[in-house]
Amino acid sequence: MKKIILGAFLAINTLFGHTAIMSCFDNGDDTITCEGGFSDGSSASGVVFKVEQNGKTLIEGKMSEDSEFTFKKPQGDYRALFDAGEGHTIIIKGSEITQ
Amino acid sequence: MLDIKNKLVKISVLTTLVASSAAAHFQMLYTPETALEKGKKIELKHVFTHPFADEHTMDMAGVEEFYVINKEKKTDLLTTLKEITFKGNHNSGKAYESEYKAQRMGDHLFVMVPKPYFEKNEDAYIQQITKTIVNVAGTPSDWDAELNLKAEIVPLTKPYAIWEGGSFTGIVKSNGKPVPYAEIEVEYLNREVDMKQNKMGASLVEAPQDSFVTMGIKANKDGEFTFSIPKAGFWGFCALGVGSDTNYQGKELSQDAVIWIQAKPMK
Repeated sequence: MKKIILGAFLAINTLFGHTAIMSCFDNGDDTITCEGGFSDGSSASGVVFKVEQNGKTLIEGKMSEDSEFTFKKPQGDYRALFDAGEGHTIIIKGSEITQ
Repeated sequence: MLDIKNKLVKISVLTTLVASSAAAHFQMLYTPETALEKGKKIELKHVFTHPFADEHTMDMAGVEEFYVINKEKKTDLLTTLKEITFKGNHNSGKAYESEYKAQRMGDHLFVMVPKPYFEKNEDAYIQQITKTIVNVAGTPSDWDAELNLKAEIVPLTKPYAIWEGGSFTGIVKSNGKPVPYAEIEVEYLNREVDMKQNKMGASLVEAPQDSFVTMGIKANKDGEFTFSIPKAGFWGFCALGVGSDTNYQGKELSQDAVIWIQAKPMK
């Protein structure tokens, strides 16, 4: 029982207690890497990550063990989306991602 | 009468210089912004100076180690150093500059170990092992890492996330062990650093008396200290002679630990 309570507490902490943060950069080889995290330093491993274009989802996956996701740079406008739950969605426009 | 006044002024200026140049050497590992909104290439200046009074810029003797740690990964940066001449308000000295791509999120913990500098006035060497921490995007990672350096200040406060009027707490350590009652010098970087021209600007504030130029504080029995930050900008903390090396080339060595913090105004 104790373990269950502790588990629930940790989950709440990660989801609501802290700010979600994402930072992306262009690797210069037609790929983009996005890193996710939280303001308390906790890992974003397993958090849903998407790349969208014209309202459609081009790529969908989860942040790696190192809390990052690397994808092929789409042609034209796109946006990277880090979805850590309600109130914790971060969107970065492709045009803002530089080397 | 005017002549006597002039002489008096000259004498008092000389006394001030002599009094303050005996202390307050600070190794700078400077970059203008330590809390970056997103990853970018940053410029660093490595200058051995007196950050408050700027009455003398020392010629750095060289650099033994320069590296950065991000997400526990260490990257050697020694070969990125370029020699420059840095112009202080009273003289110029040999210094270094470097560039670094602070691309990844989290903390980029820079460590520089300069070659010991021979201080003629004291007939002794000084070596200041210096840390500066730059954060990208606001996720913390390595700022509080204990590196078991010969002389080290381990922060208990994020050095890049301090409001003006806030405080900074650190522990003075040598090879991972706290140094009780360590002597610490605190100085405000009392000028703008011209990153393009490699020179120091004019004084930002005046000290009412010499003990405000270099503030001497002491750690407690656990090697811990706290200092309230009265003004936004860069503040340097230097724990004197706490390192395990005490001799260099047959002379006394003061192996010091330096850390820099940056406070931001609330506006």
